[in-house]
Amino acid sequence: MNFWEFVSSTHQQLLTDAYQHASAVFQCMVVATVLGVLIGVATYRSEWAGNLATLTTSTILTIPSLAMIGLLIPVVGLGVPPTVIALTLYGLLPVVRNSIVGLRGVDPTLVDAAKGIGMSRAARLLRIELPLAWPPILTGIRVSTQMLMGIAAIAAYASGPGLGNEIFRGIASLGSANALNQVLAGTLGIIVLALLFDAAYVLIGRLTIPRGIRA
Amino acid sequence: MRRVPGDRDKRPPKERGTRLPKDRDTKLPQDELPGTGLPDGERDYEELLAREERAAEQQTLGAAAVRAREPARVTWQKLTYLPAVVAAVLLATWIWFATADLDPISRNALAEGVVWLRLRQHVALTVISTFFVLIIAIPLGILLTRGRMRKAAPFAVALANIGQATPAIGLLALLVIWLGIGQKAALIGIIIYAVLPVLSNTIAGLKANDPTLIEAARGIGMSPLGVLGKVELPLAVPLILAGVRTALVLNVGTATLATFGGGGGLGDLISTGITSQRMPVLMLGSVLTVALALLVDWLASLAELGLRPRGLEVRR
Repeated sequence: MNFWEFVSSTHQQLLTDAYQHASAVFQCMVVATVLGVLIGVATYRSEWAGNLATLTTSTILTIPSLAMIGLLIPVVGLGVPPTVIALTLYGLLPVVRNSIVGLRGVDPTLVDAAKGIGMSRAARLLRIELPLAWPPILTGIRVSTQMLMGIAAIAAYASGPGLGNEIFRGIASLGSANALNQVLAGTLGIIVLALLFDAAYVLIGRLTIPRGIRA
Repeated sequence: MRRVPGDRDKRPPKERGTRLPKDRDTKLPQDELPGTGLPDGERDYEELLAREERAAEQQTLGAAAVRAREPARVTWQKLTYLPAVVAAVLLATWIWFATADLDPISRNALAEGVVWLRLRQHVALTVISTFFVLIIAIPLGILLTRGRMRKAAPFAVALANIGQATPAIGLLALLVIWLGIGQKAALIGIIIYAVLPVLSNTIAGLKANDPTLIEAARGIGMSPLGVLGKVELPLAVPLILAGVRTALVLNVGTATLATFGGGGGLGDLISTGITSQRMPVLMLGSVLTVALALLVDWLASLAELGLRPRGLEVRR
């Protein structure tokens, strides 16, 4: 069976896996973005807290993903829970770091001007600082998503969802006729998903970055 | 009309250095105002350059101020904090194991010497792959920023970006199918996976060098090799070191996947623990891997601090 025959005969399974992969990454990324921006907003004013947040998240990122999943299994069991927790934790660092850098990089004279025309603290944050810090935050989200695509594949070993299952099925049946097809389908599927997500982020950037600060 | 770079700002350096941030967007000094005989477009350009220069100055000033507060690069906190935490975690795991009641399967998986063997395999995989990553990626990065090869650099960077999207486990599995089970496939996979980020780091580092410095070096008659060895590389050392650290940390992580290609390493303990549902084995493998990753990152960060050229640090 060549690769295309394999894909057409198992496309149902592949599509399900691809959908689950994308949806797991997407949902974890949404949670990581919300948490990451909140952490950034809470810590960027103090040098100490900001550095602590960056240090903590970068330490998490240093931990190999298989070991992280291994540590989570005794606590939360196999399947979806360790996958979701691991993906969310790994997704945090780029978002936290970039939102702190972005928020600190906002020109203080602009914030001063906003204060001068009587904007409240929350209004300044929502209408001045966050829109100006949005491009670096979006970059962080892009970097995170790419990383999560690969980590989600590894999570399949702990019975997580997604295209990683194809890869591990291939590894388990090494030497059989379909091993190569399975691994290839899983790997290429993840690459395609990553590129699609990346294109979506470019589009989101076009639509959401304020016109005044577009490069 | 060609102008010497230093011509842009005629004020004495001291005055430039002490500019306050507020000053940035107010009026420019007299010698940059209209009436100096420059055509309009040229003047805008000059203004932009001057602004950029000032922004850069402020950045270096800010960085210098931060550094002035901590004169020693390697403080005792940096030296002791992380190893202490890792040691405490390892000790706790050891105590837990000394008291734990292991069943035959776990005892078999952790039999005499197995853990030590896996740890050594893991370290070997990491060290060997990092060595190859460096001797491949750094010369390639230098080559891609020279003369005619420069045109190929964007392609390499684009390739590196697509490479980032490739899942490590997929790459490893393909190599195992192609080359057969064993450490060789695992090593090659780890190396390929880490070469691309280090390569793009090196290219970025060499490209970010101030072109006026390179021009100056050429101007005083240095050979291309001299410019590379005495000016470009020393200036790019921080970024290259950051690349080395990235490679080491990545490789410790990818090496855990070597087990799926029969390459051994600590990932073996983790995967045995998962498939046989033996939590002690799983925990031991995971804790050791985490400890190793944190220690490697810590060592690399010390090297990063220690090897940075002094000249890049004190710029006053």
